Amino acid sequence: MQSEQHQVATEDKFVVFQLGGEAYGVDINKVQDINPMTKITRVPRAPEFVEGIINLRGRVIPVIDLRKRFGLPPQEYTRSTVIVVAEVEGNTIGVIVDAVSEVLPIPRSVVEPPSPFIAGIDSDYLRGVAKLDDRLVILLDLERALSRQEKSALKDKRFLQAAEKAV
Amino acid sequence: MASNLDITPEDLKVFLEEAEEQLQRLEGDVVKLEKAGHDAELLQEIFRAAHTLKGSSATLGHQPMARLTHSMENVLDKLRKKKLSPSADVVNLLFECLDVLRGMKDDIAEGRETTVDLEPLLARMPADAAAGPAPAGVKAAAAEAVPGKTARPSAGSPGDERGTIDVAREFVTQLSDTERSRIAAGLAEGAQAGICRVFFDQDCLMTSVRAYQVLLALGEAGEVLKSVPSAEDVEAERVGHEMTAYLLTMEDKAQLEATIKAIGDVARVEVSMAQAAPAGEAQGAQPTVAQAEGAREGSQAKKNATTVRVDVNLLDNLMNLVGELVIDRTHLAQILGRSEHGAGTSEAADELVRTSAHIGRVTTQLQEEIMKARMLPIENLFKKFPRMVRDLSLKAGKEIDFVIEGQETELDRSVIEEIGDPLMHLLRNSVDHGVESPADRKAAGKPKTGTVRLAAEHSESHIIITVSDDGRGIDTEKVKASAVRKGFLTEAQARRLSDKQALDLIFLSGLSTAQAVTEVSGRGVGMDVVRKNIERLNGSIELHTVPGHGTETRIKLPLTLAIVRALLVSLGQSVFAIPLTSVSETLRLTPQMVKTIKRKEAIVVRESVLPLVRLNRVFGMPAEANETGQYVVVVNTNGQRLGLVVDGLVGEQEVVIKSLGGFIGNIPGLSGATILGEGDVALIVDVGSLVKSETNLARIGLVS
Repeated sequence: MQSEQHQVATEDKFVVFQLGGEAYGVDINKVQDINPMTKITRVPRAPEFVEGIINLRGRVIPVIDLRKRFGLPPQEYTRSTVIVVAEVEGNTIGVIVDAVSEVLPIPRSVVEPPSPFIAGIDSDYLRGVAKLDDRLVILLDLERALSRQEKSALKDKRFLQAAEKAV
Repeated sequence: MASNLDITPEDLKVFLEEAEEQLQRLEGDVVKLEKAGHDAELLQEIFRAAHTLKGSSATLGHQPMARLTHSMENVLDKLRKKKLSPSADVVNLLFECLDVLRGMKDDIAEGRETTVDLEPLLARMPADAAAGPAPAGVKAAAAEAVPGKTARPSAGSPGDERGTIDVAREFVTQLSDTERSRIAAGLAEGAQAGICRVFFDQDCLMTSVRAYQVLLALGEAGEVLKSVPSAEDVEAERVGHEMTAYLLTMEDKAQLEATIKAIGDVARVEVSMAQAAPAGEAQGAQPTVAQAEGAREGSQAKKNATTVRVDVNLLDNLMNLVGELVIDRTHLAQILGRSEHGAGTSEAADELVRTSAHIGRVTTQLQEEIMKARMLPIENLFKKFPRMVRDLSLKAGKEIDFVIEGQETELDRSVIEEIGDPLMHLLRNSVDHGVESPADRKAAGKPKTGTVRLAAEHSESHIIITVSDDGRGIDTEKVKASAVRKGFLTEAQARRLSDKQALDLIFLSGLSTAQAVTEVSGRGVGMDVVRKNIERLNGSIELHTVPGHGTETRIKLPLTLAIVRALLVSLGQSVFAIPLTSVSETLRLTPQMVKTIKRKEAIVVRESVLPLVRLNRVFGMPAEANETGQYVVVVNTNGQRLGLVVDGLVGEQEVVIKSLGGFIGNIPGLSGATILGEGDVALIVDVGSLVKSETNLARIGLVS
């Protein structure tokens, strides 16, 4: 009984996906579904990072391109491109990622707090970095990464633009 | 204490629903009481609602609520006994109590501890009401509460060990609405209502047989409405040594007693009768409690008899599922239409076509039935308003007769939920700015009491809600002046406006009627928000005013929000849906037709100018290379016409409206999305917001 509790407390399961050559993990409890790429209906005047809406078995849900969200260079959708369907702040949202690789149990002992240098992503979006034997998995906080209050994202963008001009 | 109520979540939900119901009933009735003065029937109803509330709060273990309702009961009892008259002070005190009760109810709902100090309020209750003992349960309250005159028990000697049996109260507490309505009917036919209590010998070995005989005998003597134990229990031999039956009978007390005593093993029998007072008797004007109860509940009871309470989420889910089915039905028809194996090619194909048609019909029926299940009488919303109007008019020092009509009109609950705020705003406008002060009215030669009317009626697949008053009306000159002052238009433009156009200025944001008409600063939302809310529901709003005679606002709404017929149009590769309610016609557009007036495109349709809006520009989409084969969809909302230019017409279809969700939020020009037969997603055009954004002042000036 006790050992069981012990185990539950020290290990979380993550859905691991690929984005721009990095491996990212999101808490499996947040993920409802993983869908192949489907036809996206663009929504005019929608926030920039909203790619459009899709029909998810009779429901209409918004989808977001995580590449755009993280400011990575755009890439054509391939056969491995998938939509990870997640629950964020009470809304069901689809997230487009390059590919999904696996579901991985990650012991908490290997998770380190996010360092500000990872992939140029705001460390606010990160839960930490898991150092596994052969690789690193960046653990995302989806709620924060997809929050509509994209204040920090906007701020970052403006800051970057300003910095670019200055250089 | 209050936050730790010993109750399951389900029971709590039921309690809260009931409490809300009783509170609303009380509010409505106390408003009536204020007007009606002493009305025995009304007071009885108020008393009963307060009593129900007391009972349920006591069951819940909520002492403050039980104490307050108990104290209210005392006051109501005094009113009923005419020891107190329903003066303004008393009525206000009752309202205060209701406000406190509502606060407590909200505290319970939120899981908060009630912190209200009841003492000051209780101390102000007339006479000794507050000093009375804490509620000692229903029995004590009942004994003291029901006045002897209205339903004096005609049986039971004073020395009887069981004390006085209060027939009327027992009928009210023990019987269902249906049973009470049956009593009312029976009393009307001259029968008597009675309670028959039978005690069997302690050593009786076959009480179930005796009980059966009692029921049989009473059945012959009249109609048994209810018995404890019930007939089923008797059959199942679940019988103690006591039995109570509620019945309607033509026989009198003595006859009944004799009949029962004739049955073996009956130790004792008590019969109490509540009889309809014959006309002309001293207290003839006061009907018995049971009768009054029954008569009032009668019509309602008939309706409630076969209903069940259903969680609204369940209805919403059903509606969603039906929505899916509607989509699939359409898809199925499309597949069949495309298929080479149409009707006549083979037996299997014929069968497929037939089955598909049948599924189509059943789906349509199912859809209609579920829509009906979601319908609620608008009364659920309307009953909140009398109190509000009363408080507002009191505050504004106005005398107002508030008339409600058509409250039985039914519409989808989602619509009811959405129109509360707009209606509240319109009523507030009527009270605050429409109806004049008594002095002003007198000076204008009008009766000093103004009338505010709230009415609902069906008209085809729509509901029309009207808010009207017989007040001063809206002075369009003042509206124009205010618009000019606020820089919405120049004086020259203002002069060219027709009265109707000037009236429409009221819907501009930043120009609330309050500021425009009376200089009293408006509060809450303005008319622009009211219109926006109505348009979001695919409805429209129209204002009519006659200076000096009043204002009428008509709101036209669809009966349901979930499914609408829509015209599907194409813009490039994308398909958009335009709700048919706002489409008046479609035209082919040739480039020669387009005129430019003040740098805006327009065409002339039957000698009137129709401004054009190119949807692809609105939505920032690339223009189609070939602009010759385009179409104009003429839309009409709130009396404004607009031509939407689209690339092609796809067809008409029923669409299930789905929200874009909180993540995307509101997008001007779009009201949601829908899934087409093939599974593609189409966006739904929000005609109201398009028309509104086009109806800027430049255009008003242009058209006039």
